[in-house]
Amino acid sequence: MKRVLGVALGILTAIGGFVDIGDLVTNAVVGSRFGLSLVWVVGVGVLGICLFANMSGRVAAASGRATFEVIRERLGPRAGLVNLSGSFLINLMTVTAEIGGIALALQLASSVHYLMWIPVAAVAVWLVIWRVKFSIMENVTGLLGLTLIVFAVALFLLKPDWGALAGQALAAAVPAEETASSYWYYAIALFGAAMTPYEVFFFSSGAVEEGWSIKDLIQSRIDVLVGFPLGGLLSVAIAGCAAVVLLPAGIAVTSLSQIILPVAEGAGKVGLAFVLVGLVAATFGAALETTLSSGYTLAQFFGWSWGKFRRPAQAARFHLAMIICLLIGMAVLATGVDPVLITEYSVVFSAIALPLTYLPILIVANDPQYMGEHVNGRPVNVLGMVYLVIILVASLAAIPLMIVTGAGS
Amino acid sequence: MILGDLLGTPVHDSDGIRLGRVADARFTLDGDPQQLMAGARLLGLVVSPHSWSSFLGYERTGLTQPWPLASLLRWRHRGSFVVMWDDIAVIGEESVRLRDGFTAYSPALDEAGQQ
Repeated sequence: MKRVLGVALGILTAIGGFVDIGDLVTNAVVGSRFGLSLVWVVGVGVLGICLFANMSGRVAAASGRATFEVIRERLGPRAGLVNLSGSFLINLMTVTAEIGGIALALQLASSVHYLMWIPVAAVAVWLVIWRVKFSIMENVTGLLGLTLIVFAVALFLLKPDWGALAGQALAAAVPAEETASSYWYYAIALFGAAMTPYEVFFFSSGAVEEGWSIKDLIQSRIDVLVGFPLGGLLSVAIAGCAAVVLLPAGIAVTSLSQIILPVAEGAGKVGLAFVLVGLVAATFGAALETTLSSGYTLAQFFGWSWGKFRRPAQAARFHLAMIICLLIGMAVLATGVDPVLITEYSVVFSAIALPLTYLPILIVANDPQYMGEHVNGRPVNVLGMVYLVIILVASLAAIPLMIVTGAGS
Repeated sequence: MILGDLLGTPVHDSDGIRLGRVADARFTLDGDPQQLMAGARLLGLVVSPHSWSSFLGYERTGLTQPWPLASLLRWRHRGSFVVMWDDIAVIGEESVRLRDGFTAYSPALDEAGQQ
């Protein structure tokens, strides 16, 4: 019984924890401009994150090493440092976006300007990282994030023309008023949002934090394979709401208030209350994950002691690094730059950085010296290689498409 | 000089013929771990004739998965070898010169992780 509960809790946290500011913004923007014609990308991205999160969890359980320890060992100091610089900067950008997201969500709930909320959000994130136990932190934000299911509820209450939505999704085509290059630019952004590298840094480091052994892998596999696809469905519901309400009205999403507009229309005040809780929980949870990820990557690369299972005094550099990251994020946001814009860039830059994370994981997951008998099977390798090609293509195409489309505008 | 500076340095034999570049350094651990960590001793250098980028670990094992990544990395590092510290005559800023009659060992390790 305890085991069933554990699995259920894991699945629920995976669903609630899947959506972050990147998924929220990108899916709503895409829904409001392209309808559901890019929904296939969410599917490709979710399958990819399932594959590599699983692989990194297995590497962590079998070898006791988190992802960036593996990267440091395999790439050597030079290539490793290049990788760290890229991954860390993009992660920092995501931290900034998530904190901005919390502040924007709190602004929606309170009508107090978001710049006032930024220090509150950053200090709250720091306090939780400093004080709260890893499992409690993960479960509470994950469960509260589940309230975002209200997007799916609202979609039903809006009584859309399901046939037309299915038509958009199944016969994917570039809408008449959009160009092919902006279609593919947003395809890459959605892919980057679904596969953001921090999820893998956090997942594998979390496996070490919680001391997983091979025995625990079955549960983590169920959590990932059930939770992430359901989380992906939430993403689709966000895009669906935007496609039903905002697309016909000609509203292209540029702010968080537009993202929740369809929920207010479909599910009223109660729906609005739920979605505000969900927004705060999802962005807060993701802010915790990304901030921890920046500490994890730095500490694992430089060989500092790390982890929330240690007291802050015993992992001083790890905690100090995270404090500095939060301060940098706050400083960037204090310039008044639009958090939604940071988010839009962060998902595309994530897509560019994807090969840096996923190539080393794939290689180490094949090495019997690390993995013993738990090396990748053939089907996983074939799928992994297919994804590596997709990741590489997305990564190489991102910058040219960004220039051609003027970042999608 | 720190070890990192050595990576990428051209390697010549005693006649001045270029053999490749330093791609990696190989260490061995002597005895049990001390208070902090085991004492590591520099065993030799890995020299690669075509590319001095990272091997991603493929020089150490006979691993062929995942295809075609493994094959590609092997091909880039074909002909690479390990020279022992004793076979190195001069380590300079610009070049590493080997002694006459040095032995080129295979970079692969056995099952137990031994040279």
